[in-house]
Amino acid sequence: MAEAERTATEFVLERVFAAPPKMVWRTWTDPELLVRWYKPNQTCQTAVLEHDLRPGGVMRYEMRFGEMPPHLERWEFSVIDPPRRLQWKHMLTDADGTVVGNPRMPDWPRMMLTTIELSAHPEGTLQRLVWAPLDATEDELACFLRASSQSGQGWASGFDNLGEFLRTLAAESS
Amino acid sequence: MVVEPFGYAIDPSPGLNAVFGALSDPTRRAILARLVEGEASVGEIAAPFSMSQPAVSKHLKVLERAGLVERGIDGARRPARLRPEPLAAANTWLEAYRALWEARFAQLDALLHEMACESGQEDDDG
Repeated sequence: MAEAERTATEFVLERVFAAPPKMVWRTWTDPELLVRWYKPNQTCQTAVLEHDLRPGGVMRYEMRFGEMPPHLERWEFSVIDPPRRLQWKHMLTDADGTVVGNPRMPDWPRMMLTTIELSAHPEGTLQRLVWAPLDATEDELACFLRASSQSGQGWASGFDNLGEFLRTLAAESS
Repeated sequence: MVVEPFGYAIDPSPGLNAVFGALSDPTRRAILARLVEGEASVGEIAAPFSMSQPAVSKHLKVLERAGLVERGIDGARRPARLRPEPLAAANTWLEAYRALWEARFAQLDALLHEMACESGQEDDDG
């Protein structure tokens, strides 16, 4: 991989919340609060099955969508620095707890290092989500790079300038 | 339609892997960038690269399989043309992830608002 591409291996999403960092921290680390918002929509039921908030500790949870088999995920906490920084390895698992790939995108990285950084902001809290593949294979990295370089450079909101996008891709390769 | 990238699938799109695979190679990306300027024959594509025409043809086949390129029927010239649709789909995949996080954070926003109402000012020293 070229050096220029290495820098594109992070997906960053920032958002300001009208609440102090301590409160935002609780919503990530208190399982009772987490299940109230950590789901794609309100029809989904998230349930925490295991929660051990310490470095090396594991959280397992399921998401239920009606009668479909539950969707299972696993976090392994690596950094717990309240109320500033929370980091974990993010994985999908099967019913036995074995780490699995994404059924819809087999080359999507199996392990994502997820970091939440909270800092004081005039309106409350600036939350920075950083998402990076961990121990990724070449194929996984390529898959993520294509995705992250597009969104990271502002391509997420449309595709109206294909030429410029492709020139960016070509520039990365030189 | 909401695309759920984490695997609680609604709308499978198996072709995306081929697209990402095709885009993972720098030469193929450069070929696509060339085709943005307009259709080109294998010889015209090969010219700026220090690469044989068979090598370019091989890359074009990968791009064709991914649906990123189509070949014309202009006699032996068979010009290659860019098909942008699969790139838009690749972008959609990432867009789906972003949308997923944004949807969660919108709910987090609502929860934080509720919590602030419940607790008054007591957490305000954060």
